[in-house]
Amino acid sequence: MTTTYVADTGVFVRCGGPDNEKFQQLRRAVRQAGVSLVVPRRVYEELGGDPAAEEYPSGGIPYPVGFEEGWIVVADDLEYTNPLVSTVMDEARRFIANETDRDEDTIEKADTALVGLAAQLLDTGEAERVVLLTTDKPAGQAAERILPRHGFDDRLEYRYVSEAYLETITAAEFL
Amino acid sequence: MAKSSTDRDQRPLQQLRTVADLIETPVLARIYAYAEREGPVTVGELVDELEIPQGTAYDYVQRLERAGLLKQTNDSRPYEYAAEAISLTISVDGTTTTVTPALVAAIARIEDDEDVEVFVERHGLDGLAEALEYAFEQVAGTVNHRIMARELDLSPLEAEIILQALEPVAVAYSDTAE
Repeated sequence: MTTTYVADTGVFVRCGGPDNEKFQQLRRAVRQAGVSLVVPRRVYEELGGDPAAEEYPSGGIPYPVGFEEGWIVVADDLEYTNPLVSTVMDEARRFIANETDRDEDTIEKADTALVGLAAQLLDTGEAERVVLLTTDKPAGQAAERILPRHGFDDRLEYRYVSEAYLETITAAEFL
Repeated sequence: MAKSSTDRDQRPLQQLRTVADLIETPVLARIYAYAEREGPVTVGELVDELEIPQGTAYDYVQRLERAGLLKQTNDSRPYEYAAEAISLTISVDGTTTTVTPALVAAIARIEDDEDVEVFVERHGLDGLAEALEYAFEQVAGTVNHRIMARELDLSPLEAEIILQALEPVAVAYSDTAE
């Protein structure tokens, strides 16, 4: 059974810090398990999009190493013409607006991209199972709630990436 | 200890002066925040746990006690101190900020967490107070870094960095927050 691990910006921010110990731990775990972390293009852009973030210790994330070594990869672009992807993203937008008590118009594609990518991976058969690694609780909950409605029962798992989760991560998390 | 002078010093403007000290002196904020979470505490515990010089600890505890923000809870040595809850609302030109124990705890992290320090350099204490509100929302699952970034005009990356840095404060104070 192929499982795809989709990682959000928060996973890499959590890895930040002076000696990048948590980054090394994540790297070991992912490589030992022989899997890779897939990031939506939006996440890739968020990670590299703000030079000011380099002033922060947690902003100096050595994620480019992951791309060079091949255990972090950028996902295919979202196919908005795929009706399932666009329906799921619409539903996610409404769900997130409701959870966050914000106007639906203010929820953007960046907020629903994780959910859309999970739908696309499952719909195209690229993955039989998707694990979402994120600190974005509204998006994680949206994915958990919406995807089963479209026939993907028990095929999506949302994991909130806490500091403790990363500190104790091993290859077993990816098997 | 002269309890009557403590009572007199608890008047709003006197307390305002000490709260002003508290928000611009991270060591004072650390003492208050520690007593608030772990109290009652002795000066000795503060010296050990917060790694601050004994003289400084005594001076600062006295200052906080005079302002009514710490109260001595026993009559024999070593004296123990407990924090009194702060809730000071400041309104300037229509913008209202409330100084709460959680905000003091966030300010206390300026010394312990370089991410918080950089954020305050860039966005000031008002920015920190705003970010803390989002950190509470993030813990409750009612916001994400992307929405926060748009609403505060930050990059998503910077929003995520400060949300994670303030998460321990928000978690610790979520039970007591409104």
